[in-house]
Amino acid sequence: MTRACLIALAVAGALAAATPEQCRALRYHGRLDAADSCFTQLSREEDPYLSAEGLWGLRRWADANNRFRDALKVHPGDARVRVQWGRLLLERFNPKDAAGLFQEALNIDPNYAPAYIGMALVGSENFEAKAVAAAKKAADLDPKLVEARELLAYLALEDNDEKGAKDEADKALAISPEALDAMAIHASIDLLDGRDAGAWFDRIAKVNPVYGEAWSKAGHFFIINRRYEEGIAAYRKALDLDPKLDEARAQLGVNLMRLGREQEARQQLEAAYDDGYRNAETVNSLRLMDSYKNFETFRTDNTILKLHKKEAELLRLYFEQEMKRAIATYKRKYQMTLPGPVQVEVYPDHADFEVRAIGLPGLGALGVTFGEVVAMDSPSSRPPGDFHWASTLWHEMSHVYVLTATHHLVPRWFTEGEAVHEETAVAPDWGDRMGPDEIEAIRDHKLLPIAELDRGFVRPSYPSQVIVSYYQAGKICDYIAQKWGDGKILEMIHSFAQAKSTPEVIQADLGMSPADFDKQFLAWLDAQTKTTVEHFPEWKKRAREVAEDVRDKKYDDAIREGKAIRDWYPDYVEGNSVYELLADAYLGKGDKPDAIHELEDYSRVGGRNPATIKQLAGLEQDPAAASRALQRLIYIYPEDEKLHSLLGELWLEQGNTAAAIQEYQAVLALKPMDVAQARFNLAQAYHRANRVNDAKEQVLQALEAAPNFKPAQKLLLEIMK
Amino acid sequence: MAIAAKVGRGMRMLFASTNPRAGGFARQDADTNPKRPLTKRGTQTLPHNLCSKLASLLLLAGSAHAATYYVTVAGLGGEPDYEQRFEGWAKDIERTLKGSADASTVTTLYGPTATRDAVRTTLRQIAGRAHPDDAFVLMLIGHGTFDGEDYKINLPGPDMTGIEFAELLDRIPAKRQLVVNMTSASGASMEALRRQGRAVITATKSGYEKNATVFARYWVAALTDPAADTNKDGTISALEAFKYAEQKTGSFYDTQKRLATEHPLLEDTGAGQATRAPGRDNGEGLVASAFPVLRIDKSQAVANSPEKRALLAKKDELESLIDQLKYKKASIPADEYKTQVTDLLLQLARTQAEIDK
Repeated sequence: MTRACLIALAVAGALAAATPEQCRALRYHGRLDAADSCFTQLSREEDPYLSAEGLWGLRRWADANNRFRDALKVHPGDARVRVQWGRLLLERFNPKDAAGLFQEALNIDPNYAPAYIGMALVGSENFEAKAVAAAKKAADLDPKLVEARELLAYLALEDNDEKGAKDEADKALAISPEALDAMAIHASIDLLDGRDAGAWFDRIAKVNPVYGEAWSKAGHFFIINRRYEEGIAAYRKALDLDPKLDEARAQLGVNLMRLGREQEARQQLEAAYDDGYRNAETVNSLRLMDSYKNFETFRTDNTILKLHKKEAELLRLYFEQEMKRAIATYKRKYQMTLPGPVQVEVYPDHADFEVRAIGLPGLGALGVTFGEVVAMDSPSSRPPGDFHWASTLWHEMSHVYVLTATHHLVPRWFTEGEAVHEETAVAPDWGDRMGPDEIEAIRDHKLLPIAELDRGFVRPSYPSQVIVSYYQAGKICDYIAQKWGDGKILEMIHSFAQAKSTPEVIQADLGMSPADFDKQFLAWLDAQTKTTVEHFPEWKKRAREVAEDVRDKKYDDAIREGKAIRDWYPDYVEGNSVYELLADAYLGKGDKPDAIHELEDYSRVGGRNPATIKQLAGLEQDPAAASRALQRLIYIYPEDEKLHSLLGELWLEQGNTAAAIQEYQAVLALKPMDVAQARFNLAQAYHRANRVNDAKEQVLQALEAAPNFKPAQKLLLEIMK
Repeated sequence: MAIAAKVGRGMRMLFASTNPRAGGFARQDADTNPKRPLTKRGTQTLPHNLCSKLASLLLLAGSAHAATYYVTVAGLGGEPDYEQRFEGWAKDIERTLKGSADASTVTTLYGPTATRDAVRTTLRQIAGRAHPDDAFVLMLIGHGTFDGEDYKINLPGPDMTGIEFAELLDRIPAKRQLVVNMTSASGASMEALRRQGRAVITATKSGYEKNATVFARYWVAALTDPAADTNKDGTISALEAFKYAEQKTGSFYDTQKRLATEHPLLEDTGAGQATRAPGRDNGEGLVASAFPVLRIDKSQAVANSPEKRALLAKKDELESLIDQLKYKKASIPADEYKTQVTDLLLQLARTQAEIDK
């Protein structure tokens, strides 16, 4: 619709009844005052549907919702009413009911394209693959539907499919040269590729000079590509054009929070909230920021560590030193120094971490990285053995380096693959093992070509595809590092920093086409996994039988069967692993050495059950072996008083007073019930380390708690000699 | 997902566990927790400055003729798993107590023998034998129920109500009594059981916490873990055992990320509000702190010479001074407190060394 037409519309609007389409057209062209008048007029219509549209345009959402409810009674067979009501609900953060209305519209008219648009929008909120199918269906049903093409362009760009996005945007512009969102897609592509997008924004401004949505869309694409600073800048531009664009304001707040800029984040989020924009992401983020008073911050020259007060004393002992170790390792490996300190935030409540990460609960992640800020689960947020915090920390810190080194231009598969690779590079027993999902994906040839691997992360087509993609990406980096060395990884990082695509980098740095790489990689992977993949169904059946044999004390049968199948799937170290079952069978027969051997294998392969690892430590005769076994648990579940106390004792036995002191400090940090014993143990360690004043201080505090504690009395007298 | 993230898979189990793994760690041994002398005098951080009152109570506790009668009842499990668990805990308690106390004062009822009649008979017999100076401990394990009016423990045959227990306990002359009701819904028995001079511990805060409890597991652990003796006086008091079991119960739910379905309580004034955190603020815990459930160190300092008697008197005095100083801690400048407490603790250590010579 041209500007001349709009003027005519505005004049006509004053004389005749307005329609929702006319009002929306005024707004679409930035005629906001005229649009408001139009919507006001519409809101006074007797027809509840028209009235609902008017009220919606005036941002009177609750009234509009009520009128839509009335409209449904008046127009029960009108698919349009249901779709428009659904769009209102979707805009006001209720995708579930919106989806229901879109489905009802399709029940009325299975060929109603706007209902498919609604379905696609609901799906796109969760990055679901079905969003694309629904948008395509809408475009097929109504080839002139601009919104369908714009949405397809948007979804393609979310999948990093720039060509597809451009094609769809061009199709939209061919239908309507004023297709604002199609132009916004073109502008976003230029911005993502580091080109000047001025021409597109000029063209947008000619249609609608206050169309902040275009910058807001660019902000979204920067953010999903982990380019937070640029995303924030884009949201600011969106708000300059349209200060009422609450979605952009809320996103600005959320992303400022992600980068640790809490003060401004709070201001923006509160402004959005006060303006009625109260989606879960905004509300949860504000609630989380309210809880920051419960956190303590510890700073060193290159680290900032934020810990919940209830576990700060304990976790600081281990987190800070792992952060420093990771920084030293990555500095060498990636040959770079970070521009500032790395900030790590550790959340004992997984829901808080989820809100910190995406504003919403329901995230299956353990840690996330935003620039130089890492947020992660605390070991206390999950049941013991469920989570290897140090592995997660190193994974996230690898992201910090790779994202910084590539100016955030790295594809998702590479940064994730490298982070997974680093987990086992630091210690082979860290990281995740190949699970049933990965086995099935390999068996069913579901691994994606390297050039398309990002799709597995962004828009998975089956439930476990994200997990499988992590595994595949990690293995790809393992393969590259093994075949070409770490130097090649660094070369690839430098290539990605130059905004090269995956196929370009594979060709340039590895000297082959992506298809050839896929062939070679799959052959390498097949050689590693063939036995497991082939025997998996039988292994499953027979492992169950081994468990039954152990339960029935048929130890000889269990040992024979267990030994036969164990190495078919050596990576399996979860509940009732064959290693553990064999150890039980050996112990049942009184064969301690073989039981120890099985449990050592379990530990070496990466088993994490604290009870099993403690059992191994208890069986070990050699204090060094026992402490080695227990030391692994520090990285898995350090919130265990007994673990630290046992380790302290073992270190002291081996003369490692520094390690013993740290472990006894950890006991105290856990606020033990038996304070006297804990302080006495620490005093003993200090005494052995010739730290007389510290020893005296601790033994006095032990005696203050229990004045007649004889061993402490003896130590005090010895110190005071 | 727009973020660089590590995705967790959690603990995966391909088939149901048929062999739950126990900790099995045996490195902790007695050497790390050397035996401590038995004395109650002045070593407790009291909720109130009532050392003299407590001392008289403790003199009773330590009287040569005073006995402590223990009755443990493990009710119906209903399922083999619970039967085994309840019976196992009851036997563990019995074993621990018999290793510490006079075996003739320890009665344990479990399985088919734990009937209402058997419980009543046992309690009546103790009522006939016990003296006012004696102490009495009742420990109940099993499934409890609450119908909105009465608390009952499930026993083979007829069940027993909280009121029935209270009537029977009131007939026992022992002035110091402890009831540890570790069953589900045990909170509903608090009202009927509490009385002046009787400390009552329940595994749940009300009759509406109906799930099977884990408190009993940790009460048993408290009686076998030297760490429960936090003041290192060689005796595990009711308060120490309660605090140990309460904290471990809380940790169990916290660690397993499960919603806590039991909230243990203690009441020992007979008229106060039962609490999870007995202390100065609420006036609870004084009787329980002076109630020795188990003596883990049976060695006693014997005053068989005038020199020893003088040293013991000096030790008493020093303990008392330390208690007083600790009570005044908040009102004394930190440096001054430290100097004084260091001096007293050093004197006490030297005195003890002299006694031990």
